[in-house]
Order: sequence, then C-alpha cells, then structure tokens
Amino acid sequence: MYLYLPVALTSINILIPVGLGLAVGLLSGLFGVGGGFLMTPLLIMFGIPSTVAAATDSNQIVAASTSGTYAHWKVGNVDFKMGLYLLAGGFVGGLIGVQGIKVLNAMGNADFVIKMTYVLMLGIVGSYMFVESLQSMRKKRTDTAEPGEESGLARFLRALPLQTRFEKSGVTHSVLVPLFFGGFVGILAAVMGVGGGFLMVPVMVYILRMPMHVVVGTSLFQILFNCIEVTFLQAYTNHNVDFILAVLLLIGSTFGAQIGAIFGRKLKGEQLKIILACIVLAVTVRIIFELTMTPPLLLGRSGGH
Amino acid sequence: MRYLNPLFRLLTLCGALAAVGLLPRGVSAELTATANHDRITIGFFYHGSSVSVRGSADSGCDLIIKIASPDGSQTLKKKGKQAGFLWMNVGSLHLEEAPHLYALHSTGDLGAIVNKGEREKYVLGYDALARQVKMSPVADDAEKERWFGEFVRFQEHSGLYAASIGKILVRNENGKKNYYILTQWPYQAQPGVYTVTVYAVKGGRVVETAETKVSVEQVGLVKRLAGMAKDHGGVYGLLSILAALGAGFGVGMVFRKGGGAH
Repeated sequence: MYLYLPVALTSINILIPVGLGLAVGLLSGLFGVGGGFLMTPLLIMFGIPSTVAAATDSNQIVAASTSGTYAHWKVGNVDFKMGLYLLAGGFVGGLIGVQGIKVLNAMGNADFVIKMTYVLMLGIVGSYMFVESLQSMRKKRTDTAEPGEESGLARFLRALPLQTRFEKSGVTHSVLVPLFFGGFVGILAAVMGVGGGFLMVPVMVYILRMPMHVVVGTSLFQILFNCIEVTFLQAYTNHNVDFILAVLLLIGSTFGAQIGAIFGRKLKGEQLKIILACIVLAVTVRIIFELTMTPPLLLGRSGGH
Repeated sequence: MRYLNPLFRLLTLCGALAAVGLLPRGVSAELTATANHDRITIGFFYHGSSVSVRGSADSGCDLIIKIASPDGSQTLKKKGKQAGFLWMNVGSLHLEEAPHLYALHSTGDLGAIVNKGEREKYVLGYDALARQVKMSPVADDAEKERWFGEFVRFQEHSGLYAASIGKILVRNENGKKNYYILTQWPYQAQPGVYTVTVYAVKGGRVVETAETKVSVEQVGLVKRLAGMAKDHGGVYGLLSILAALGAGFGVGMVFRKGGGAH
C-alpha cells in the first residue's frame, strides 16, 4: 500500500519506512545510537529529498529514544545526572558547530572537509572499538581481574577540580569532563549534520569509563533531547519535517527500540561494543565506496549532504 | 459521438471551475484534444495517476504531444571529483526557464517530421529545450551541453522528463486521424497546472495546435498537513514532537505490561 508524503512530495510503499524504522529502532535500543547515520542515507535511496530525510529522521528518533530511554530506565540503566551534564555541553557545542559550518562554507570546500571528518571519525571510532572489545573479550577468558594501569588521561581527569560522584554509573569525575566531551561531540555532530550517538557512546565507555548498559540508556536519554531541539528547529525554520513519514518510521522504531533493549540485557557489554563497532565500520566502508565510485547521476537536489 | 463530448464540456465549463481549455486554434479547426482528467487530486493514498489524451486531426498530419509545466527555476547540486578520486558535491547549478515536468510524444522521429526552426519556436524536443534553458555557472557551450544532458538524466530518473516515439496510437477513420495516448502521470510531479499541447505537423511545419490543461492539487489531509508545515512551522513542529513522545511512551507502556506478565 502506498501513502503520499505531503512534505517530501513523493509517494512511498508503507512497508519500507515501517521496516526501516523497526531495524534502526532495534539498533537504537541495543546500542544507544540514534541511527541517523543509517536511516538518512536509506531514506534518500528510497527517493526522499535529503533535507526532508534528515529532518524527519530526527522527529522519528524522538519517538525511538523515548521508547528506548523508558525501557532502559525501568531497569535502572539511565544516569540522568551524567546525561544532563553531557547535554549542557552538547548544547553549547552545537552552537559552536553551527558557526563552524558557516566558517567552512565561507572558506569554500565545506563539503570536502565535512565528508572527510565523517569518514575519519567513523573509521577511527569503529576500529578502536573493534580492537578494544576484541582484546577485552580475550582477556576476560584468561584472567578476570585486571590491575588497572592508569593512563595519563585518567590521571589528568582525576586532577581536575569539581569532582563529583555519578551514582548510577559508579564513577567519579569532575563536572568539567562531561561538559567538555559533551561539547566536543556536539561540535562534531553539528558539523557533520548527524546526531553523534556513535561518538557519544565511545566517549562514555572509554573516557568516562561508564558500564556499557548504563551508557546505552544514558545516551538515548541525551539523544532524545537533542532530537527534540533539532526537530523543532527543522520544522520551524526549514519546513522539512514530514509528519506522515515520521509516523510510519516511528511505528517501526518504537517497537524496535523495546525489542533492542530486551536483547541488550541478554548480551554482554563487550558483545554489544563489538557489534556496534562492526556496524560503524560497515557504514565507513559504504561511504568510502560511495565517495570513490562514479555516481549514476551527477546532479542532486540541494540541501543535505 | 466524440464531437459531442467537447461541446458538452464547453457548456459545463461556463459555470464550473474546471480548467479545461478546448481551444482548437487552427484556422480549419481540424485538431481536437481532450484529456481524460482535467484535475488530478493528491490524497492520502496517491501514487501517481494516468492521463490519456484523445482527439482527431487532419489525416495527412504527424502529431506531437507535449505535456509540460510552466517554466521555472531550480538549483541543483553538482557532483564532481575532488582530490582526483573522491566524488562529492562541488557546487551548485542554477537553471532558469526550465519546466519541472516535460514529456514529449510523437508519431515519428522529431528531426524528420518537423524542421529545426519550428522545433525551437515551439520548444519541441530536448535540443530545443536546451536552447531555451539558461544555466549558470557554465563556462562555455560544451559545458552547458554536458550539464543539460545530466539535467535531463536527473529529471528522467524522477519520471519528470520523458520522450517517446510511436506511443501515440493512430487510426484513420472517415478521412480523419483519431489519436489516443495513455501516459503514466508521475507521483513526483508537484501540484500545479500543466499544459497538454497537441501539434499537428505537415511538411516540416506546425500547421495546427490544440491544448488542454491538467491541474494537480493536494486535497484533504495531505493539503492540510502541507499547508501547516509551510505556514505554521512552530505549531507543526511541536505537534510532531508531541506525537513522537506520545508514541514512544505509549509503546513503552505496552511493553511494560507485556513484560510484567512473564
């Protein structure tokens, strides 16, 4: 059955967005990512204009992350305190990032810089997570308790003022740490035009040293607020949110997020990390292919990437 | 019988708002054209439509049928190579006087049935359209030609541009030529008024034209949502967010009940 999308000005078979929503919602509930890095290109592939695809996806993520946050909160896996600090940092970072894009556009070549940043970030994050989780899976098998060799970064982080305890995550950090890294991810996410879940998750795991299951819940909580803001701005300034498309997507994604959260409880932290790493690497490879192969059409609609 | 139909339509037209123009402009008034709908409505379940055009012409003529939107401007992104091997957006291409939809069907090869001057005068065929369309930035004619080719491929990909030979069915009856064509109306075509023009050509020249209009408009929920997204972006955004939050919580509740059971 086909439905007409009033803002995208195109018609789509309803099974496509519902199926995509289910798949991406599942990933969202499992890993605490919004899944924009998968959903937006898929929507474009199915004929949705790129600007509408990105804006509508953020509306859909509001639903998926509400559903996911709720599921994780029920089992006590959301660190609200940490989430709020990260959000505050991310908000400021987003503002800086938007200015950054203006500077890049003024310099010309913005697209090149953005695409390269995106590929590098995905590649680095994916490879690091893959290698690290593989190593920790191997170590787990040989010896259980590993004496913590403190890195320079960890020592520096502990020396900072305003140390506070994050109960849920079981870690102690200076409040400056989540503020700073939230801001850092916020800048990159704004420049790349993505939600940044795939960056925030590794930051929480490797820098903030939070347990993987709390990371997923907290990341979703944070993504929820980011996407509310983005949806509103997109609807208000660019008129790019397609309500019908969003509803079709969220029918799938809200259920997907619940199923993902249930599955996630059955998997170990390392298993979650390594699967996420594989997905991020697969997306990296896909983008590299897209960049190097001659596109079938040399013209495209304006907006988006 | 077929001649009654246009007359009947003309009579109803006087009072109605339907936008059918049945104006055979030729002197001899041999050529007629009628579309099966004059109004395509885009509703909730819209997935394109089909439009057929029928009429009659002088039996010695070849026919060309053009379905086009009014000329407009659009800006597209150009893809090109950077750093030698990386494909990405390298700037934009601005087009003017380019119709958003352009479909041309003829009974014979355009170059053979109508001369160049006439093709350009009536904008028949991609070559003639290429001369009309203004493009920037392009350095020279060769570059313009190359990007126009890309533009046509892009539009054809969305079903908005089309060209065919021999799709028009023709039957000679009582010294007249009755024609009929059935075309798929692309769902990508935006709301607006489109013109169907039939050209009768003889000896390389256009001897007669007839036209009819097809209007495409959004109705019902589609129209209301599109209007709201455009005119009340803030409220529309808030409603979208509330709906998403509601759906997220709703499904969460459903799963909690389901989860508590086992």
